[in-house]
Amino acid sequence: MSLPAAAALLLLLTVPLATFALYSVLTAGLFSVSGPLTLENYRAALGSSLNHTLATNSLVVGVATALISLALGLPIAYWLRFAAGRWQQFVLFLVVASMFASYLVRIYAWRTILGDNGVINRALEGLGLTSQPLGFLIFSRAAVVIALVHILLPYVILVLFAGFRPMPVAILESAQDLGANSLTRWRRIILPLMAAPAVTAFLFVFVLSAGDYVTPQFLGGTRGSMLGVQVQASFIEAGNWPLGAATGFVMLTGFLLCYGLALFALRLTRLDRVRWS
Amino acid sequence: MSSRNVLQRSPITALITIMALLFLFLPLAVVVLFSFHKTGGLSFPFKGFSLRWYRQVLSSPEFRASAENSLIVAAASCALTFVLGTLAAYGISRSSSRWRGPLSLLFFLPITLPGLFVGLALLVFFARLKLELSLRTVVLAHFVYVFPFFFLIARAAFDRMDIALEEAAADLGANHWKVFRRVTLPQVWPILVGAAALAFALSFDEFIITFFVIGPDSTLPLFIWSSLRRHVDPSINTVSTLLMTVTFGLSAIAFLFALRGERARARTLELSLRGEMDPGRSI
Repeated sequence: MSLPAAAALLLLLTVPLATFALYSVLTAGLFSVSGPLTLENYRAALGSSLNHTLATNSLVVGVATALISLALGLPIAYWLRFAAGRWQQFVLFLVVASMFASYLVRIYAWRTILGDNGVINRALEGLGLTSQPLGFLIFSRAAVVIALVHILLPYVILVLFAGFRPMPVAILESAQDLGANSLTRWRRIILPLMAAPAVTAFLFVFVLSAGDYVTPQFLGGTRGSMLGVQVQASFIEAGNWPLGAATGFVMLTGFLLCYGLALFALRLTRLDRVRWS
Repeated sequence: MSSRNVLQRSPITALITIMALLFLFLPLAVVVLFSFHKTGGLSFPFKGFSLRWYRQVLSSPEFRASAENSLIVAAASCALTFVLGTLAAYGISRSSSRWRGPLSLLFFLPITLPGLFVGLALLVFFARLKLELSLRTVVLAHFVYVFPFFFLIARAAFDRMDIALEEAAADLGANHWKVFRRVTLPQVWPILVGAAALAFALSFDEFIITFFVIGPDSTLPLFIWSSLRRHVDPSINTVSTLLMTVTFGLSAIAFLFALRGERARARTLELSLRGEMDPGRSI
């Protein structure tokens, strides 16, 4: 019964990814892409100093977005699981609903808030605190991070809430009865038990934000541009598909390495073995 | 004082939750508010309400064409996902084959990839096949994107079901299809409908992948994208609000159906535990 779906995904995902990989070792001609096979695109992609800057930006934005989302998501998921009471379903609904507030609309919303004529700058001027717009609010890595946290935080909350769900209240109660204060409970019980879902959420956010190409286009400016924008531009603007494919594949390899390293680290520390039954 | 009470009072996490909800909703509220603005101004002070931007947007032919395309694409990819996803989730859930692991991984794979790669890989693939980019290619791309979300929810629903009921029906002589239609489906359909609403909403709002595989056509997110590129126009607020109304509405439907599915499941479980399951009654 799973065959039709499996065939469809093999045809529409794995075969295209393989084609994408093939393009990265071909040469771009005027109207076509052809052989012989070459590593020239990878040399160009890895050697470009612009790409180094953009990759650094992607890395910084990805890590910052993931860390901030986790720092907010953990206490929120904890509250939902242990303290929300009758508010639980309502707040969960709000979180799910906000997940569906359009991706582009959020980017647009942050542009109207952070922009030179935006809500914040106008308010500051109105209050007489500034005489000209604070230009650094928009077109920076920080602006990109804010919008990405806004986009991805709901997913993080849901993943972490699912992680908290099977955790028995009794564990925390007994820790408390034995004299552990809330800081100790977080450090010695909650964080180790939540390591696996937290790493999952971190990777999810890191990969999606470091691989984004739209948010940096509208909020990053030149200072906050990222590698995904460059890959997109190689395809759409420059029309050099092989170079774009090679740059994209370097990115993809980086993400796969992150997945591998994280799984390895979890296994090494045996934090992936938490079972409740 | 019992320790339970102390755990339940968690002022710091409560404060963080409230702040985060404000952070999530205030920017969207600004967009909605200014979609009703009387003037073209995009920041405070707010000069009063009017529906002029709605009138302007709703009478724009480009907007209508984009909205229509979005509906077509979302309906088609949602239908495709519903059929293939339900089959796949049921198959995986009831199978003990050694392909179960690899297949689950394949079905999950699209979630782990940034849309950039899915979009570019499909662009290259379609170009290689000399397949012209159109709404059809967008439907195929959206299927890849929404499939894992639908599959994960549907599979969880099938996994949690009490298999004893299906076995009992089969023992009583019902064939495969009859068991599925009369016993399995009635227990999970609210969750499947919820998951389908979610798939529809995800497709309706998709931009990252769509951008690469759409060709000359437009959908609502592409309409917003191109007006974002051109200039800051107050009607973007209106289009955004309309788009969010659709996706919010769908997510509310998804949520309600999921709750309903939860309750139906609890009831079935309770009845079957008590041994009072009445086969004549639908759940």
